[in-house]
Amino acid sequence: MNVTVLAKFVPNPTGTPALGPDNLLIRDAGDGALDPGDEYGLELALQLIEAGGGEVTVVSMGPAEALAGVQRGLAMGAHRGLLVTDPGLRGADALVTARVLAAAIGRTTYDLVIAGVESTDGYTGTMPATIAELLGIASVTAVRKLDPNGDGFRAERQTESGYDVLTAPKPALITVTAGATDPRYPSLKGIMAAKSKPVDTVSAADLGVTDLSATQTVAAVVDAPAKAGGEIVTGDEGVARIADLLADAKVI
Amino acid sequence: MVAVVVFVRRARARMALLRAARPAARTAEVGARARRELVQVLGQRKLFQKALPGVMHACIFWGFLVLFPTIVEAILAIVDDGRSLPVIGQAPWFLFLVDLFATLVAVGIAIAFYIRKIQRPDRFRGSHMEEADKILLAILGIVTTLLLWNATKIALGQTAHPSAEPVANALSNLFGTGQPTETLERVFVWAHVLIVLGFLAYLPKSKHLHIITAAPNVYFAKNGPSGHLEKLEIDLEGPEEDIRFGVATGKDLSKKQLLDLFSCTECGRCQEVCPAWNTGKPLSPKLLIMDIRDAVAGIDPAAGEVELQPLVPNAVTDEVVWDCVTCGACMQECPVDIEHVDTIVDLRRNLVMAESRFPTEAGTMLRGVEGPNENPWSQPASARTDWIGDIPVRVLAPGDEAPEYLFWVGCAGAFDDRAKKTTQSVARLLNAAGVDWAVLGGRERCTGDPARRMGHEYLFQMLAEQNVATFAEAGITKVVATCAHCFNTLANEYPDYGATLEVVHHTELLSHLLAERKLLTTPGTRGTVTYHDACYLGRHNGRYDAPRDVLGSTGLATEEMERARERSFCCGAGGARMWMEEDGDARINDTRFAEAAGTGADTLAVACPYCFVMLDDAAKAAGSDMRVADVATLLAEAITADGDRPAT
Amino acid sequence: MGATWVYAEVTPDGVHPSALELLTKARALGGEVEAVALGPGATGAASELGAHGAGIVYASDDQTFADQPGRTAAHTLHWLISQHTPSLILFPGTYEGRDVAGCLQALTGSTLMANATDVESSSRARTEIFGGTKIVEVDLAGREPRLVLVRPKSFPAEPSGGTAEVVAVDAVTPPGPTATVVERHAEAASGPKLEEANVVVAGGRGLGGPEPFAMLDDLAAAIGGAAVGASRAAVDAGWVPYAYQVGQTGKTVKPEVYIAAGISGALQHVVGMKGAKRIVAINKDADAPILKIADLGVVGDLFQIIPALTEEVRRRASS
Repeated sequence: MNVTVLAKFVPNPTGTPALGPDNLLIRDAGDGALDPGDEYGLELALQLIEAGGGEVTVVSMGPAEALAGVQRGLAMGAHRGLLVTDPGLRGADALVTARVLAAAIGRTTYDLVIAGVESTDGYTGTMPATIAELLGIASVTAVRKLDPNGDGFRAERQTESGYDVLTAPKPALITVTAGATDPRYPSLKGIMAAKSKPVDTVSAADLGVTDLSATQTVAAVVDAPAKAGGEIVTGDEGVARIADLLADAKVI
Repeated sequence: MVAVVVFVRRARARMALLRAARPAARTAEVGARARRELVQVLGQRKLFQKALPGVMHACIFWGFLVLFPTIVEAILAIVDDGRSLPVIGQAPWFLFLVDLFATLVAVGIAIAFYIRKIQRPDRFRGSHMEEADKILLAILGIVTTLLLWNATKIALGQTAHPSAEPVANALSNLFGTGQPTETLERVFVWAHVLIVLGFLAYLPKSKHLHIITAAPNVYFAKNGPSGHLEKLEIDLEGPEEDIRFGVATGKDLSKKQLLDLFSCTECGRCQEVCPAWNTGKPLSPKLLIMDIRDAVAGIDPAAGEVELQPLVPNAVTDEVVWDCVTCGACMQECPVDIEHVDTIVDLRRNLVMAESRFPTEAGTMLRGVEGPNENPWSQPASARTDWIGDIPVRVLAPGDEAPEYLFWVGCAGAFDDRAKKTTQSVARLLNAAGVDWAVLGGRERCTGDPARRMGHEYLFQMLAEQNVATFAEAGITKVVATCAHCFNTLANEYPDYGATLEVVHHTELLSHLLAERKLLTTPGTRGTVTYHDACYLGRHNGRYDAPRDVLGSTGLATEEMERARERSFCCGAGGARMWMEEDGDARINDTRFAEAAGTGADTLAVACPYCFVMLDDAAKAAGSDMRVADVATLLAEAITADGDRPAT
Repeated sequence: MGATWVYAEVTPDGVHPSALELLTKARALGGEVEAVALGPGATGAASELGAHGAGIVYASDDQTFADQPGRTAAHTLHWLISQHTPSLILFPGTYEGRDVAGCLQALTGSTLMANATDVESSSRARTEIFGGTKIVEVDLAGREPRLVLVRPKSFPAEPSGGTAEVVAVDAVTPPGPTATVVERHAEAASGPKLEEANVVVAGGRGLGGPEPFAMLDDLAAAIGGAAVGASRAAVDAGWVPYAYQVGQTGKTVKPEVYIAAGISGALQHVVGMKGAKRIVAINKDADAPILKIADLGVVGDLFQIIPALTEEVRRRASS
C-alpha cells in the first residue's frame, strides 16, 4: 500500500509568534519545525507500510526552508518527498493551498492520503476535506485508529460522545488525531539516509495551478480588550471567575 | 609442555580478539599511568577500600609476586634434582621471605573462604562461586606443596639455613631422613609444578585471567576525571562506513573495553554500591560486564558482521542499559579499573543513534534539546533571563567586553523554579563580593550533557561546537557553573571541541571568596545541615571540600551521612534519568533522602540542581519538614538577612 | 445581497445549539435568513429553527446524510446553492461543520474562513490569534456564497418568535467513492482522550489521595468535552494510572482551558501543559510556581472550590 502524507512546516511551536508588516505570520527560517500534528500521520503511514508493504511519500508546501520538514519525514522512514515552493504562494489561503496540495498529491502514487486534523499555526481543519473532494476520493476525518479492510479501510472516528466506525474504499484521505500514534524519533542513521532520498521541488505553475489570487485579506489587527492576564484572586470570588473564564473560552 | 601449549593456544584466542578490536587512545601521559600502577597494583590501594578483603588479596597478591621465582626454582629442581636458584636460592633472606609469604598466602586463602562461606556478602550474588572455590583451592595447593617441598628438603638436609624458614622448618619434623622422604620430596615438587601448570592452562578461560590482564587494565585506565566521556567524532559529510554509532556487537568494543571484560574477577564491589541494583532494578555493573564477557568469549574475529548478535538485547537487556544513572560508584570501587559507565554509554549510543530504541518519554527531552529552543524543557530562549528580576545582572550582548567570570546559568538554573533560587543566590553573592561577572542570557544553549549521557553523541557534538563558538566569540576565559553536570561537561569535555576555559563550580568560587574575605558571614549557629555530594562534582571530579568549607562558614553544624564523599549515593537524576520514568518499589531519590533525614539534620544541602529537584521531590513525597537548599542559598542567608551586602 | 444561510446540525434528539447561535447572528446581519438541515431530525427541528429566525428551512430527513457524512451534505448544499444563490453561509466549527464546509469549498471555489469569532457581513469577519490577545479583521472577497466557520458559543442564542416554511430537499448522491458509517459507539464514561480534550482538569499532590479525583471527574462531566489529568506526584503516589500523567515524562496537552488543582507547577509538569490557551490554577499556597504562569490563579481550598465550581457550571448550563 502506498501512502502520501501531508506535512506542514510551521514556525517554532513553542516560540513567540509575531506578525510582519504585511500582517502575515513571520515564518522565521531558523525557527521552524515539522508540525507535531503531522508526525502522528507519518507514524501511522510508516506502521501501515511496515505491516503490509509499500512506500510513503511526504508532500509539503512552503518556503524553501520547509524542506527541513520533509527531511524529518524522510528521516523517520518515508521514501521520497515532494516540496511545492513558490514565492507566489506566500500568504496563500485555504482554497489555493488545497488546489496546490491536491495537484501535488496527484503526482504521487497513493492508496491513502494522511493529514493532521488541523495545523498548529492555522488550525482551520477544513483543508483535508477540500483536498479529498478535489481529488474525488472518500474522506474520513478525526481518525484515531485505521486498519486496512479488504479493498479499503476501516477507520475509528473520534466523536464528541465516543467514536464511530466507518469503511471507505481505496483510495481515501484521512486526518489523524493527536495521540493516535506515538511518533518515532528519527535515528541518526535515518537522518543520514534521508539525505540520499529523492525530493522533487516544484512550483505552482509546474502543477498547473495558475490562479493564486487571495480571497481573504487581513484588514487590521488590533489588541483585544486587555484580559487581566495572570491575575490572582482568593477563594470566594474564585468560583465565579473560573466559570466566567470557561464561558469566555466558550467551553461551557 | 602440554600445559604451556594449552595456555598459549587459549591465550591466543583472547589476544586475537584484542588485536582485532579498535584502538583506544590510552597511551599518553606515561608518568601518571606509571604512578597509578605503583599505587593501585603494587600498593593494592583500591583493594583496601574494603578492609578485610583488602588484607586477603594483598597477602595473596604480594605473595604471588614474591613466590614467582620459586616456580622457576621448582621447575629447575625437577630437571636437576637438588638444583636451586642461582645467587638467591640459598640466601637466608630469600628463604625467609618465601616461607613468610607462602604462609601469608595460606592465611589469605583462609580469610577468603571465611568471607565467602561464613560472611557470605551479597555482592557475590550472580558470581561464579564454584569457579572461585577451585581457584582458591588451587592457590592453596600451590603454596602448601611449596611449603611441604621445602619441609622435605630441610628434612633431607638439602637446605643450608633451615632456621630461616620457620614454618617449613616446623613442618620438616613430619618427615624422616630416609627414602620415603626422598620420594615425598619428588612428589611435592612435581605436585607443585603440575598444579601451577594446570592453573596456567586453566587461566585464560577463567576469571583468574585477571592476574595477567589487571595490571595492563589499570595502566590503560583514564588519567583524567571519570566524568569525562571520550569523544566519538561523527562526521555526517564523511564516508558512511567510517561513522561509528557506539557499540552494537562485540566487534565494536575497543581494546580497553575488551580488557575490562577479561579483567573482571566477579568480586561484586561495583554491584554493592550501584544505586539501580540497590533499589531493586536488574542492573548490576558486575553482571553487565560478565554477560558481555560471556557473549564476546565465543567471537571469532574473522567472522562477518552478520554472524554477530547485537549485545542489546541478547547479552544485556534494554532495561539494564537504561537503568544506569552514570554515577560512577561502580568505577570508584573496581580494583582493576573497569570502566562500566563508558561501556554502558557506548551501548546507549548505538541504541539511540542507530536504532532509535530508548524509553519514549526521554524523547521529549531530546526533541527539546534538538529543537529550536535547545533546552530539555522546550522553554523559549528569551525566558533564560526571567530569573533576574531586580538583581543587578550584566547580560552580555554580542560584541560586549568579556567579564572575568562568565556565570553559566544552565537550563535548570534558568527555567526550574527551585534551581532559580540557587541562581539568584549566586548572583547576589557575586555582586556582594564585587566579582566582575556576566551571563550569556538567551545565547546560552544546553551544554548537551543529557543528550550525551543518553547516547545521542551527535546532538551533543552539535551543541558543544555551537557553545564553544559562542565562548570564543565572546572572549570567555573563566566560567563558573552551579550545575554539577554543566561543570563536568564544560571543564572536562568541551576542551575536546576546542574550548580553552578555566571552569569552576560555584562552591569552589564561593569558598575562594570566603577565604579572601570578599564575603563575610555573620557569626552564630544556624542549626544542623547534612551535605549530599553530587556525583558529577564529587566522585567524578574529586570536589568534596569546597562545599563543606562554605557550609562551615555559615554557622551550620554538619552531620555527615554514612555514604558521603566518594561513597555518596546518587540522587537518581544522572544518565539522563531525570527525563525517564523510574519503575519499581524503591526509588533512588527516596532512598537517598531517607538516609539524609536519618541524620536528624534540619537542612539537606545540595550543590546541583538535579540533586535539588530529586531530593526536594523526595522530601515532599515523604511529607518531611527537612529543608532542601543549595549551598549558595544557605551562604547567602548567612551573609546578612537579605544577602545583598557583606556584614562588616 | 442574497440570503444568509445557516448550516444547522441536527440529530433525532434535536438541533445542535450552534445552529440557534448562528441564526441569532444571521438575523443581525440584515437580509433574508434561511437554514439548511440535512439528516434525521431535520423536519422535526424546523419549528425551533424558525423560532430563531429562519424564514425557510431546506430540510431532508434522509438517513444517508448520517451514514455518509460530509460529502452528501456538501453536494446537496451545492445543488441548493445553484438554485437559490445565497451570499453567505455560516457553519458551526464542529467536526461535521468543517467537513461539510471544507468539501463544499472544493465545489463552489469560494472563500472559506475558519475560527471566526464574529461576522459583520458577507465580506467582513473577525477572528482571534495569539491566545486571544489580538483580534484580526478579515476581508472576504471573491465569488459568492462566502463560507464562514464560526467557533461554537461565539454568540448567544435568542429566539425571535418566527416560523419557518419547510422546503423538502432530496439528498444528492455525490459522485465517486464515499466513506460509510457502519457502527456507532457512545463512550459516556471515558469522554475525549487527554490529548484531544478541549478542557483538561488536572489534580496534583494537593488532592491528597485517589478519592478526590472523583470530584474532578464530576467537574469534567459538568463542563463536557473535558478530560481528567494528573501531575507526576499523583501518579507516583499511585492515586491515578500513568495514562493520566501530564508533563515532561507524560502527555503534552494543548486544550482551550487547563485547570490545575493542587498542582505546585514544577517545571516538569508545566512543560506538558503550557501550550494551553488559558490556564487556571487552584492552590492553597500563594507562592506555588503555577500561579505565576496561570491566566487566572485562585488561592484557596480546592475541596471547596471544585465542587462549588461544578455547581456553578451546571447552573449556567441549565439557564
